[in-house]
Amino acid sequence: MLYEIKLHSNIKYIKVSPAFESTRTGAQGPMLLECKNINYQYPGSDTQVFRDLNGRVADPGFHALFGPSGVGKTTLARMICGEIKHFSGQLITAGLERILYTYNLERLPGWSSVGEHLQLNTPTSSRHRMDELVASFGLQGCMDSRFAQLSLGQQNRTNLARYLLQDFDLLVMDESLANVDEGTKEKIILKIKQMFPDRAFLYISHNVVEVAKFCKQVFVLRNFHKFPQAIVLEGRNYTGGPGVDKKKLEHTMLEIVNAL
Amino acid sequence: MLYRRLYQFFMIYFLGLASLMAIKYGLQLSDYVIPGPPEIASTGLRVSGRYLLNVLNTLAVAILGHILAIVLATGIGIIGRLTAWIGSFIRVAAYNIQAYPIVAVAPIIFILLGDGLSSRLLIAAMICYFPLLLSFVGIFSEPVPEIEHFFESTRRMTWRLQIKIRAFENIHKLITVVVGSATLAMVGTIVAEFIAANAGIGYSIRIALYQSDLAKILVALFLIGICTSLYLVLLEWIGYRIRRRWAIPEGGLK
Repeated sequence: MLYEIKLHSNIKYIKVSPAFESTRTGAQGPMLLECKNINYQYPGSDTQVFRDLNGRVADPGFHALFGPSGVGKTTLARMICGEIKHFSGQLITAGLERILYTYNLERLPGWSSVGEHLQLNTPTSSRHRMDELVASFGLQGCMDSRFAQLSLGQQNRTNLARYLLQDFDLLVMDESLANVDEGTKEKIILKIKQMFPDRAFLYISHNVVEVAKFCKQVFVLRNFHKFPQAIVLEGRNYTGGPGVDKKKLEHTMLEIVNAL
Repeated sequence: MLYRRLYQFFMIYFLGLASLMAIKYGLQLSDYVIPGPPEIASTGLRVSGRYLLNVLNTLAVAILGHILAIVLATGIGIIGRLTAWIGSFIRVAAYNIQAYPIVAVAPIIFILLGDGLSSRLLIAAMICYFPLLLSFVGIFSEPVPEIEHFFESTRRMTWRLQIKIRAFENIHKLITVVVGSATLAMVGTIVAEFIAANAGIGYSIRIALYQSDLAKILVALFLIGICTSLYLVLLEWIGYRIRRRWAIPEGGLK
């Protein structure tokens, strides 16, 4: 409770009066991502995506955005990274100055090899991490290939690796590990958690097991006619080492499924 | 590529010639109206050297006009992608201007610029410019979000990189449009020469028309077809080399 008060003291709130006037408030201080009474419908569409959406995810760590297809996960992700601006309500991104959003359909330009692209687009401050990331993502054999020559799983891992090498405070990963086998996926998530303990991640996935097992907080997004539209639950936040407690994991999974 | 192009041209040319002979002998037309094969062959031997130089002259102007049109279309295409309204304005203007047949505008150009090289060049460029422009504006204005998103969100996007991405992703379309417009450049130059110029194969055809010498016209058409086919093959080869160099690494696919 004390912690929450401290967080709020670092946030500049802006008064929002008319409908469809959005506020995206950033402030220095501990990391906080908070939605306050967000309403949104796509321009030219009658279908409302969000109705008084509220929820918050705090602190660095590997968090999840979970929900059924079409519920608005990608829309919310695009709001968070600033691609969608015209919504009503408040989106507070305290301590998250550099927000990146990546999705699984992204491609690298085809005129250079994967290795050349990574070399060219990795900031100097992250160069030392490149070899480690490439090795732990199992991409050593892909460096001389063009992106189009890789398998779908390799493409997704390559794309994620290049984002991880950028300067960011929050990385929204929209199904970034689709087409990657379970073992490699676990290895990658644990590596991300180990390499970037001070950064925040918002992992969008449809896999309840991995969301429950690996994530610290799970932002469960429900259909807009349910109230509240979002529920935030605690995940097991598995970081490796001894196996996760199966009973607790099952309990978390049940909580997530019941929240939908 | 070369063999196929020439083979296709010979097929079409000799089919046309055979149809002409069928009409001549079917309707029993005199050699004055449609000359027989021996006269066409002897005319070919007599004028082909001079006509070949004329065709090469025309081809040189067509290539220059084509290059000019490509450069202009690229420049305007790049400007057209800046904002939606500029792109839209350029497209609408290009659609309206190209609605005028260039043959109708050509006399004005000849009156203003005379019957020299500049008029032929301008008409050749104009006739292939608008189809190129419409394609280039369309291609350069169309985002490739799955590639551009990374550069936009990491603030690395520059206009050069944006053009490079869009051109690379549409390289097949660009090459097809450039090759297709080459024929238009050749047609434009011949039309210009036919109307008022003082050089080139179009000018020679006009003289042959005044003399009612169909054999000369048939020889000119043969040489035009050969040279145009060779130019198209050259463009296709350049396009192939660009695709190979840009899209596929040395040593082929892994």
